[in-house]
Amino acid sequence: MIEQYTITTTPKYNFPQPSIDTTLPQRFLEQSLHSLKQVQHQPFQLNQQFQQFHISEQHPSNLQLKRQPITLKPDHQETTIAAVDTSTIKIGETSTGIIIAIRGATTWKQNRRYRYTRLGPFIFHITEDNKNEVYNTLEKSYFNTLYSSNRHATPHLMQMPTRLASLLERWLQTMLAKTVDHGLILFDGSLTSGTIDTPVQRMKDILSLARRNKSTVLAFSKMTSLRVNGYLITDQLPKHEPPYLLETTGVQFKPPTVVLGGVYVARLNKASYAFRLDIDREIPLQHRMAAVEKLLGNDLYMQSYPETLRLSHILCTFTANEVLAIKHFITRKHGIQIINRPDMHKLLFGPFGKGEIHS
Amino acid sequence: MKLYKKEGNILQVLSFPHENAEKGDYLLIEDPDAHKALIAQVIDVQFASIPGVLEELLRTLPDGGEPIQGEDIDPLEIAPHITYIQDASLLICKTRATLENEALSPSSSWLPSRSQSTIKKLSVPMLLKLAKVDGQRPIIVGGTKDSSLLTIDATAVDGTLNIVTGKKGCGKSHLSKLLMASLIGYKATVVIFDLNGEYTNIGLTKDGKRNMYYDKIHALTPSQNFKVALDQLHLNVVMGILIHALHLPATSSREFRRLWKNLKEKGCLTLQEMGAAIRDLKCNQHVRDALSSRYHALVNSGFFTDNPAEATLLDESLLKARDQGGAIVINLRNTSTIDRQIVVEYVLGKLVDSLQSWKLKATFLFAEEAHLYLRETYWDDIVTRMRHFGIFTTFITNQPDTIRESIYRQADNIFLFNFTNEHDLDVVSRAARVDAETVRSIARDLPPQHCLTLGKVVRDFPIVARVRALDMKTMGETRLFFKNIN
Repeated sequence: MIEQYTITTTPKYNFPQPSIDTTLPQRFLEQSLHSLKQVQHQPFQLNQQFQQFHISEQHPSNLQLKRQPITLKPDHQETTIAAVDTSTIKIGETSTGIIIAIRGATTWKQNRRYRYTRLGPFIFHITEDNKNEVYNTLEKSYFNTLYSSNRHATPHLMQMPTRLASLLERWLQTMLAKTVDHGLILFDGSLTSGTIDTPVQRMKDILSLARRNKSTVLAFSKMTSLRVNGYLITDQLPKHEPPYLLETTGVQFKPPTVVLGGVYVARLNKASYAFRLDIDREIPLQHRMAAVEKLLGNDLYMQSYPETLRLSHILCTFTANEVLAIKHFITRKHGIQIINRPDMHKLLFGPFGKGEIHS
Repeated sequence: MKLYKKEGNILQVLSFPHENAEKGDYLLIEDPDAHKALIAQVIDVQFASIPGVLEELLRTLPDGGEPIQGEDIDPLEIAPHITYIQDASLLICKTRATLENEALSPSSSWLPSRSQSTIKKLSVPMLLKLAKVDGQRPIIVGGTKDSSLLTIDATAVDGTLNIVTGKKGCGKSHLSKLLMASLIGYKATVVIFDLNGEYTNIGLTKDGKRNMYYDKIHALTPSQNFKVALDQLHLNVVMGILIHALHLPATSSREFRRLWKNLKEKGCLTLQEMGAAIRDLKCNQHVRDALSSRYHALVNSGFFTDNPAEATLLDESLLKARDQGGAIVINLRNTSTIDRQIVVEYVLGKLVDSLQSWKLKATFLFAEEAHLYLRETYWDDIVTRMRHFGIFTTFITNQPDTIRESIYRQADNIFLFNFTNEHDLDVVSRAARVDAETVRSIARDLPPQHCLTLGKVVRDFPIVARVRALDMKTMGETRLFFKNIN
């Protein structure tokens, strides 16, 4: 998961600035500081393995991939392209919880120049005691509580990094949808909703906002598990000159999971990579193709992936240097002492102890 | 600062930006459990190898050139911490000594604790105090980076062989003038071979008024106010001139010696008599021709005179300098190569004579670009024989390879200015009192007027100082064509 907020909370932003609600980032900051105060002057254990959380995708049984490619022709009509991504990382553990960092980035290409805005990092100390408070406060601060069905209101502690990052990502997507006119908005991932962190209505609202501003949402998945005849859809590329799309049919999941986009396989240049591309289903087919053609005519491609989205990802990702800086920050500003608890995998298995994620 | 590594006598210390350590600084690495401390000098500053820095830099250059424009909203203000970590540096240090019970020893065989040791900068005054670089006759060389003064003791220059070297225009002559002025301030006798005539007016201030050294500077210009009568000369000195400066063959030398003794016995040792004697000499034609050509070389130099009144200045100057301290500046400007060698032969011979007969106690000799006038055999003479007579030489050069390696090996003090040429640095790093890494690393980055002082005067703790200004008419500046042209 990667995300970034697209619109700054200050009027300096180069983007169109309709009334943007800055409540969420403010709440992020408040909750961040509040949660860190609770852990002040405690020792904490550095994270020994970076953990990633995967949400297993369901496999629709009647998925089909049309073999006939939809040929694309780049349209160079000047179009704003915006992308959003967020990133999260576990910094370490305390005796009562975990310390995480979250950051979002939006990138846009306008007048042939890339610009970006990054929001964060926000640092949280999440415990079993405060996780509901942190999550619900943030959710309520911007998104209508209508969306947060109570059955998801108590995420597991280890799911909190992705849940909070997802919350920030949806907020940034909303801001982009509100502010970009006649543009293309690129999301990282799919338009699948009805999952724990993406209620259907929330995603529908984002898409609807974008449509109202004559913008089109294109969601690129770096990885997919959708398979046809046992093979990944992105591995079944015909011998055809790119750029082209392959259309899929029958992408349906068990409720409440809903795919709000038409699902395609996109091969945008000669690089032998293809990606799952979801395009807002409510947009007429012809406009969808036009949107992809505008993307082709206005953005750069490295390995068939849009540069704007790649930049968003790169800009929000935490480097090792930043992790060190965050540790420095929490040590200096909040008096949290770093302790070295032995890594049990390494301790027990020596060179064969590869860490928790491999266990 | 944190101790990171130790390999041999090289320490690696991790330093953060606010700690502001630079090349040449001294660090005190104290191990509280061992009750001792290492004194190390920073000889290089590198970026610390911080994980993720490359990614951090790369992501700001997505278009392969122009940095991407953007804005960072960083409400927790993490960015300063990121740059703080990114700008961390690794100090490569050379251990210089161990401090134990307030006494210094050159040992660095022990290993201070990496986790418990505290590292702090050691100020130059504190270092000098620990190293006991003090004395009754201070010479203020200049200011150090921490705004203190680098003061050496004049007695540490006494009896030593010194080298002042660096590339052109970085302040070598200035420092040698400072040393010279300080020495005559302590009533020392100083003799200067002044190749460019830049020491002749150091008795004047920059605006042309007399300064405190005015009465102690004796500028002697050969064939003008510096002439010699033959009867003042020792035969050895004359033979030195003829053999070494004028390359007189051995047979002719023997004939000249005989001729000289005859004239001396007759009490008519003058140029005129000598010319007549050579003319009338009954000997091999080749010998006569050889003597005749050398005689005319001596006459044409204008350095020799038959008028005793003209030929008293060097003795007078040496006497004055002996009593009150002073500098005899031998102005070799506008002097031909041969004449220069004649003058130098004479002065060195005269000095050895005066020292042997205890007319002089000792003298400090400052020789600029000595390879231009010093004969081959004098190099070893100067560092061995003449040193025992009491001639303590300071060589000043911008071509370090013109000074013999044996001189570097025996040099007691080196005042090193900036060099960027590897070859020059290699030559200087052969000096016995310094390690090559220090010379190469620190000298390369010395700004103009900054000098790395090495050797006995700083008790082998290399110290960088900006050489202080002098109110003297130096005349060492290069004459420029475009200066003052609109």
